[in-house]
Amino acid sequence: MGAQPFTSPVEDSVPKVGEGEKAIAVGENLEFQRKWWRFERVVWAVFLVILVCDVMGLLGRGWLAKAKATTPELTLDYERVARAGTPSVMTLTFGDGAIHEGKIRVYVSDSVVKPLGAQRIAPQPAMSMVGDGGITYTFDASRAPAVVQIALEPSFPGVHDFTVKVEGDQEIDGKVLVVP
Amino acid sequence: MPTILHAVAGYFILLFLVRVLKRRAGSQMTLFEFVLVFLMGGIIILSTVGNDRSVTNCTCAVMAVGLMHRGVAWAKSKSPRIGAIVDGTPLVVIRDGVIQEEVMRGMKLRTEDLEAAGRSSGVTRVEDIGYAVLERNGRISVFGKS
Repeated sequence: MGAQPFTSPVEDSVPKVGEGEKAIAVGENLEFQRKWWRFERVVWAVFLVILVCDVMGLLGRGWLAKAKATTPELTLDYERVARAGTPSVMTLTFGDGAIHEGKIRVYVSDSVVKPLGAQRIAPQPAMSMVGDGGITYTFDASRAPAVVQIALEPSFPGVHDFTVKVEGDQEIDGKVLVVP
Repeated sequence: MPTILHAVAGYFILLFLVRVLKRRAGSQMTLFEFVLVFLMGGIIILSTVGNDRSVTNCTCAVMAVGLMHRGVAWAKSKSPRIGAIVDGTPLVVIRDGVIQEEVMRGMKLRTEDLEAAGRSSGVTRVEDIGYAVLERNGRISVFGKS
């Protein structure tokens, strides 16, 4: 069986400008460009919204990213929106009722250590004890106010729950949204 | 693995960002090439490699960007639509001696850009330009009236 001849006509589909022999093959698609200009306007509006959200802290490291939770003996300041691989700080301020016999015992859930990436704790606790899905730190303390800071560096994006509880007080349950 | 994902995301984010920027008249590079320049210049690469600056990690990141670039180039060759989305299409700025105000406005062009393009093609006055085409790489091709 011999080769079949080509039957499709050879056509120049590139749109041209000009007439006759002076026509120039440009390939313009003005209708597409008009749609693109409309799309660009929407995109820049979205970019503006994203930047405003960023300035306000909705994407972390700003005013709206800061959160505070309070129980009678503990005030917890943290960032409800954090960024992966970026440092943030969780600050625990204890009241007088948190100090028992010169010690403060505070429980933090494992999620503070793993997904939220606790890097260090200041001051260093006198003792750490693991168990119950978390770590119980014991600090030597005199009287309120007493402050402990936990430096965090979340390792991966997502919503991470955590729990903080001072001995003899209510527990604080919180969520941190970690953005990429 | 995160580095490759970051590199892929970085490539497309930057490609998109550069694409929604206007073509700069007189530019010698296509927006497509700008993506590589920016990426390898280190803007997105900072978040791509993160704290892992090992040769292995950086090599993987560059390979991922190269692969993305090749993939997009292949997609452009297969689909004119994708080509138009990634690179845009040429636009006629002067048609039969008439300046196309819609294109001038849309592409943020000035008459000075047309004058400069005319000069580089040996046409000294805008009135003598028959056709001017804003190419995908930002260059303006000029055809004199004859």
